Amino acid sequence: MSSVLRLSAWLAVAVSLVTAQSTVSFVKDIKPILETRCLKCHGGAMQAAKLDLRSREAALKGSEKGPVIVVHKPDESTLYKKISGAEKPLMPMDGKLPDAQIAAIRKWIEQGATWDAALESGAGKQDLASLENWKVPEGARSYWAFQKPVKAMVPKTGDAEWDTHPIDAFLHSTHQKRQLKVAPVADKATLLRRAFLDLTGLPPTADETRQYMADRAPNAWEKLLDRLLESPQYGERWGRHWLDVARYADSNGYEHDFDRPNAWRYRDYVIKTFNKDLPYNQFLEEQLAGDELPGATHDRLIATGFLRNYAKVGFREKDNPQFRVDYLDDMIATVGRGIMGLTVQCARCHNHKFDPIGQRDYYKLQASLYSYVEVDHPLTPAAEAKEYQSKLAAIVARIKPLNDEVKQIEKPYRDKLLEAKYKKWPQHIQDAVFTPEEKRTAGQMLLANQIIRTTAVTPAEIEKVLAEPDLTHWRTLQARIKEIEKEKPKPIAMAMGITDGDYRFTPDGAGDEPAPGKGIKREAIEGSYLSDGSKPYVAPPAHFLHHGDMGSPGSVMKPGFVAVIDDGSSPTELPPADHRTSGRRLALARWLGSPNHPLTARVAVNRIWRHHFGRGIVTSLDNFGKNGDLPTHPELLDWLAVEFMEQGWSVKKLHKLLMTSRAYQMSSQFAAEENLASDAENLYWWRFKAQRLEAEGVRDSILAVSGSLDRKMFGPAIFPELPAEVLASTDKGIWRKQEDGPGVWRRSIYVYRKRGLPLPFFEVFDLPDQNTSCGSRVVSTVPTQALTMLNNEWILNQARRFADRIATEAPTGAEAQVERAYMLALSRVPSADEKRVGVEFLGKNTLNDFAHVLLNLNEFIYLR
Amino acid sequence: MASEQRPRFADRRRFLFEAGGGLSGLGLASLLGQDNLLAATSGEGCVGGPVVASPFSQKKPHFAPRAKRVISLFMSGGVSHMDTFDPKPALTKYAGQPMDGKGDIVVRQGHPGPLMPSPFSFKQYGDGGLWISELFPHVAKHASKMAVIRSVVGRSNDHVMAHYELASGTIRMGWPSVGSWVSYGLGSENQNLPAFVVIYDARGGPFGGPANWSAGYMPAAYQGTIFRSKGDPIADLKAPEGVSDGQMRARLGLLDKLNAMDLEKNPANSELSARISAYELAFRMQSCAPQTVDLGNETAATKTLYGLDDPITAPFGRQCLIARRLAERGVRFIQLYHGGIGNQNTDTWDAHGNVKENHTMHAAESDLPIAGLLTDLKERGLLEDTLVIWQSEFGRMPISQRGLGRDHNPGAMSIWMAGAGIHGGQAIGATDEFGYKAEQQVLTVHDLHATILHLLGMDHTKLTFAFQGRKMRLTDVYGELIPQLVKA
Repeated sequence: MSSVLRLSAWLAVAVSLVTAQSTVSFVKDIKPILETRCLKCHGGAMQAAKLDLRSREAALKGSEKGPVIVVHKPDESTLYKKISGAEKPLMPMDGKLPDAQIAAIRKWIEQGATWDAALESGAGKQDLASLENWKVPEGARSYWAFQKPVKAMVPKTGDAEWDTHPIDAFLHSTHQKRQLKVAPVADKATLLRRAFLDLTGLPPTADETRQYMADRAPNAWEKLLDRLLESPQYGERWGRHWLDVARYADSNGYEHDFDRPNAWRYRDYVIKTFNKDLPYNQFLEEQLAGDELPGATHDRLIATGFLRNYAKVGFREKDNPQFRVDYLDDMIATVGRGIMGLTVQCARCHNHKFDPIGQRDYYKLQASLYSYVEVDHPLTPAAEAKEYQSKLAAIVARIKPLNDEVKQIEKPYRDKLLEAKYKKWPQHIQDAVFTPEEKRTAGQMLLANQIIRTTAVTPAEIEKVLAEPDLTHWRTLQARIKEIEKEKPKPIAMAMGITDGDYRFTPDGAGDEPAPGKGIKREAIEGSYLSDGSKPYVAPPAHFLHHGDMGSPGSVMKPGFVAVIDDGSSPTELPPADHRTSGRRLALARWLGSPNHPLTARVAVNRIWRHHFGRGIVTSLDNFGKNGDLPTHPELLDWLAVEFMEQGWSVKKLHKLLMTSRAYQMSSQFAAEENLASDAENLYWWRFKAQRLEAEGVRDSILAVSGSLDRKMFGPAIFPELPAEVLASTDKGIWRKQEDGPGVWRRSIYVYRKRGLPLPFFEVFDLPDQNTSCGSRVVSTVPTQALTMLNNEWILNQARRFADRIATEAPTGAEAQVERAYMLALSRVPSADEKRVGVEFLGKNTLNDFAHVLLNLNEFIYLR
Repeated sequence: MASEQRPRFADRRRFLFEAGGGLSGLGLASLLGQDNLLAATSGEGCVGGPVVASPFSQKKPHFAPRAKRVISLFMSGGVSHMDTFDPKPALTKYAGQPMDGKGDIVVRQGHPGPLMPSPFSFKQYGDGGLWISELFPHVAKHASKMAVIRSVVGRSNDHVMAHYELASGTIRMGWPSVGSWVSYGLGSENQNLPAFVVIYDARGGPFGGPANWSAGYMPAAYQGTIFRSKGDPIADLKAPEGVSDGQMRARLGLLDKLNAMDLEKNPANSELSARISAYELAFRMQSCAPQTVDLGNETAATKTLYGLDDPITAPFGRQCLIARRLAERGVRFIQLYHGGIGNQNTDTWDAHGNVKENHTMHAAESDLPIAGLLTDLKERGLLEDTLVIWQSEFGRMPISQRGLGRDHNPGAMSIWMAGAGIHGGQAIGATDEFGYKAEQQVLTVHDLHATILHLLGMDHTKLTFAFQGRKMRLTDVYGELIPQLVKA
């Protein structure tokens, strides 16, 4: 059956239906069809082919190609021809209309295409409007986390040991209330190790231990904290915590998992910024809007990488506009959970189920971020960047005529080679290809199109068949092209960041290929996607999406914030003087970092508390909403949040405040029956909570103890060796071959983060998923950790190096060696029992055996 | 308590307090005392294992299960349903004509071609007269055991996203896979082996790599463990050369002693006792895991059954035979991949260029081993409570690509299930006349997942994990059971 026959069959049916129905009602018959099947693409949010079917006037104006309705003449109306199949492509795109509806439209056009009611884009208009106009429910603001924190009076416990430090007073008043016995202060060596692991992620060296143990000054502890906070290793430790929140990785993820060659600059920025103690609210500002700040330094441009850290498909992105909306969702989730402790992303498809967050809030936030485009900021003076671009362009221009000449020589050879290739196909395909275009059947057109478009001839194939003198001429040209290409200037340093622009005009990326007739790329050629500042920047419209569906756009949204925690005092746009961006992200950052924001400081303080004390005052670090945990010590949390802001959002001052408390210095080796009965989980901090080192901490500690650690900071990532079967599990992206050796014995923060292939050693020690923002890692205890620590070749090698080190530093006597080993691995002297056991063991076994055991001790991988 | 990251661990902690750290009742020291270190827990010892409080402690299902475990056979690359389990005579009738009336045809690569008939012939098999193509003569003998579902739809025509959807219900990265959900929900029947084991094709991993068996936001303990089909099955299972048995035993002895001394100084610290027991479990795994992949005791007949004596069928045959051995030992979720990265067009089912050549080759590699697995499971009485699933990430197009190939088509795919009370010999759902889209009883991956959990005795709406302020489910807010799949 040919398609023509089939078409006439439908027409017969259609005609008979219409004759049965004498008149067509616009309201009853036509309006529903237009609303449900046409307006999605030819309505408010989108007017594909510039056709707007929302009013008669607009409909009669037609599309960019001309009128679509010729009143009284359906057969001349493009609209009818497209829905009936008489003209391609068939409309609607998502499936043919039922025959009765086609017939109704035909009749309606015949009757004069009257229009006696306004259209509504989408069903249930009223409900949708109420979602768009959602208001914060009455009383919702009274929830504890939505009110500004205020400093409560510091309680008095009457116990001098606990009354000098505000944190202690808060904690101890709870101890008293709950009749909990408290742990004594830990011994000096334990505290030293605790402070080192906590602030730098490395154990103290033997020298550092000796020095500190000898320091009898009353302020020895404070001096130690100051020293550690000033050490470069501090940023490597605390920057890593933030990189979890920022879902940082060095590759895209998804199928291709493309390398991100400049991602490491953001990682370095985070380390440096922690080291220089940039106020936390300014840190947020740089990351959300570094490009919008006056005097955008290189660091600030690099900082915008924060928003670009989302996992990205990186293939056919323009053909799949949904991807971008998902990236925006990821940004909203990251800003929501990571900065505000709110699961705003739950309000993408409906109002939040638990918290008073409307879909409206989600789309206001989306509008605040919507203008973003990915951009690689050149990290050179503007003039240099320009010069680079023009040099490149000049080279391309010089090569072009040579390439044209090459093509001309190749033409006859290419045609012959192609013909030979076509002749290898089965007969029916050859028939399609060799039949002249105008004589091909519809099916042959498709077949020929496929074959012709996908058959190519390579230069190597051509070179084989070229005859003289063409061959010599061709080779000379190719050589000349190669010579010119060598003059390409060296690439300049780039930061992987974002700025405002118009995503609709960004250039095509990998895999983008418009299908014939789809015309997706038409817009892309209209102009640059970046504003040059010559006229005020206009943000592309960001729509409310009903049900989170791009196919159901609602109104254009103004930028804004989460209403329930917004007192309205912060502007939602702060357009910069240079007109290049919208200033929406800067406004968002200022709102987040304002002292009026009830959550930013609380969430920051709570996260920092978590890393020191093993659990947050609010356990659910990323969720302060109703489904999160309530604070165990609400007044303490608020006191700390306000204090943090009063101290200029200084993270280092906060560390010192927390660590100088008596509570931080409690022993973890304490238990009291009563406590275990009433608070077995130590929710009220009656002892210090021992914490297993994080994956990076385990590796870094091993390197430090074995004496292998290279403390070199910054720069492109390192690639530890991977077992062959792990490498074989994916062939996408990159994993450079680097020998195991000093070159990769650097801190773990510098290890390449490949989304599709986490380092197995890290994974086994609970590396979080690298694709979503993570505030607090899970700790698991599984046999594969033991297997790794016992049998992994890398560990065994480090154990050997550790043994060699012991032998060098304590050349004689088993006792001295046991002592040295304990000092290096555990920063303490062994007990008499331990010494005896150790010496006995060394009587029958090697130092190597002993060193390996120490690295496996529970004590070694716990901060306690 | 709605804590984000510690749903079931509160229980574990309580248990450890009560048990006071005495875990297996055996202790590493006593294991070390046994004569043959690596045979200490051989034979029967590798089945079951001591009751230990761990993320894998056995947990009760919601109701009586039909299946205790799952063997999932994943044909990576996208199997063409029109050429395997969903015959379409209309393709022959309209061969060479454009596919009209189906709206805008979305292809993954290039541009649509005309309708292309299957190069393979079909016959009916078994009690229910299931149609199966000539590609699977051996599997076809089990037709009476198989329920073929012809109307599964996916959401992406991208290999990786489609893999993720089948694995986790979503096309995004970073979500727990169905194997993780099952091990989280049921724990393991065997404390000496991982609960969720993955064996991928010797040619390489599937599209999307390790994220296919990731635990996403769940604790890493629930992720799949790769079993290599050659050499030591698990990475770092045994010490490399240069460290002798005796040496390792001495090290473990000292470790046990020092950790015990340390435990005394740290009263009521369950994490420390858990770590000590983890070393004990690791020690058991060292003998149990290699024994699982050691095929030395299998009879020649069994090896032939799986095609181990033919170089074409041997690689996947080995994977299937190890799967049976894992099933016997109580591993909960066994995920095999056939087809692995390397050359996408030849090493996977991704038949863009030539469906006849590609599918003939891959069917020849996998048909006999899969049939062997079904026969063997049946003979050993394991099929009764083992759910076998055969699937791919999407179907393929009824129209041609580049003349003789077929492009991706998430609009329809055929999968089949067998064992665990599955009502065999039936085809469920149907596609349109060409096989372009599922038309009758359209089923999503959520529906499949809901059904798999149901067969394992779990209600997919009740198996939740708290994350991001929500009780997350494998099936999100969707999922309907497939009613006719099991006999009432």
